[in-house]
Amino acid sequence: MAARRVLKAVLVDLSGTLHIEDSAVPGSQEALKRLRNAPVAIRFVTNTTKESKRDLLERLKTLEFDIAEDEIFTSLTAARKLLEQKQVRPLLLVDDNALQDFRGIPTNDPNAVVVGLAPEHFNYQMMNKAFRLILDGAPLIAIHKARYYKRKDGLALGPGPFVTGLEYATDTKATVVGKPETTFFLEALSGTGCKPEETVMIGDDCRDDVGGAQNAGMLGILVKTGKYRAADEDKINPAPYLICESFPQAVDHILHHLL
Amino acid sequence: MAEWAKQLAGIKGVLLDISGVLYDSGGEGGGVPIPGSIEAVEKIKASGLKLRFCTNETQATRGKFVAKLQRLGFNILVNEVTAPAPAACRILKERNLRPHLLVHDDLVPEFDQLDKANPNCVVIGDAADNFSYKNLNEAFRILIGLENPILISLGRGRYYKETDGLKLDVGVYMKALEYACDVQAEVVGKPAKMFFQSALAEMEVEPQQAIMIGDDIVNDVGGAQQCGMRALQVRTGKYRPCDEQHPEVKADGYVNNLAEAVDIIVKQLHK
Repeated sequence: MAARRVLKAVLVDLSGTLHIEDSAVPGSQEALKRLRNAPVAIRFVTNTTKESKRDLLERLKTLEFDIAEDEIFTSLTAARKLLEQKQVRPLLLVDDNALQDFRGIPTNDPNAVVVGLAPEHFNYQMMNKAFRLILDGAPLIAIHKARYYKRKDGLALGPGPFVTGLEYATDTKATVVGKPETTFFLEALSGTGCKPEETVMIGDDCRDDVGGAQNAGMLGILVKTGKYRAADEDKINPAPYLICESFPQAVDHILHHLL
Repeated sequence: MAEWAKQLAGIKGVLLDISGVLYDSGGEGGGVPIPGSIEAVEKIKASGLKLRFCTNETQATRGKFVAKLQRLGFNILVNEVTAPAPAACRILKERNLRPHLLVHDDLVPEFDQLDKANPNCVVIGDAADNFSYKNLNEAFRILIGLENPILISLGRGRYYKETDGLKLDVGVYMKALEYACDVQAEVVGKPAKMFFQSALAEMEVEPQQAIMIGDDIVNDVGGAQQCGMRALQVRTGKYRPCDEQHPEVKADGYVNNLAEAVDIIVKQLHK
């Protein structure tokens, strides 16, 4: 194995890693407490486009996780940061619920387009509005490019197809801000003072969590909960640094081997 | 004099795009003729050159669409028009395909002769407001549920011009479904070679003897050139100045409008 790295930060995925829907992964609350005793910065990272930080926090508190709002970094946060950096005013094609994460950002006379998972906005009129803005030079920002997702009544189109359509219409490329983009992982660390080489990411999505984190220069620990399926680990290169049964075992490994 | 005008010897037929060349669609009355276009069509017909209209129009049946243009003053007949829906029907019949249609309501009658129960393919056209999330989702679910997903797209344009601005065309939604289902669509209509070739066959003219006039640098001009025809881009319709610096397609000539193109072509004929 390569020379021992200094570990200063841990990124933790939420859905599928700390909890599955409304149940905590057994032993995770206690494992988190143990991790907090170590000298590491912790951030909770997720690709949600529908839930605001407040919603996520509510659920985690109900499951008795000890987490602060400013430790949560979502793809919506990543989008907001990008808008602030570029100083643009967005047309927000996002779920109403997600709007609160963009509070304070001016949206009058938009000169940017943000696309999240928002079926109610993917009608012809709104798509034309977005298209004309982008054709005139407005940057297109995609929260992520998922092809589809599972709903109670079957599969449903994600934002990916609509982003792809707009890219084709305008001959431009969207800036994708969610996992597995490198910028997502780097932005998640901002404020911690830590570098990617000093960070470990724990998640259940081999490609988006572990693959993305390792591409950004971090170590990735794959947990076999949530959406994990056997042989997922064979789908990325390099392979995950470590595979664990679940979050508590990942924390054990960190405390005993990486600090 | 325009360079391309010097090389018109041997031209026997003219292929005309409709939207953006003859007229701009949209608004009350269905559209507004582009100045000079009505007269230009008459001039070609009077010149002895063969004429055919090659359009990707899929918001209405050929009959309805031609009737609209006649009302606007154009000398045009249904049997002079090559359009995607009839071509698609022939293909669907040949291959025993039962289509789920994601098209404009007014196009549906073109597919009346086909069995649509238990669809084994999706046909997508310029559906405009029918491109709702619900309708796209329905088309997506059918495709993703097929063992052999077949997506037929009536054209692949990015956008077109209506009287109230630019609007997204079928190609955008074709790309969306291709991405969602990880499939590749088959295109019926411009710029598919077969489409241009069938128009030329109807006209009984060889590619080298034909010139195409359109407003879409890729689908009209590029597509026609790929078949061996010459092609002009007009600066009306969806034209944008950056089209003249397109990295891949260089039109044989750029003209302000159809009237200008026809003036030059007919003048050359009489030399």
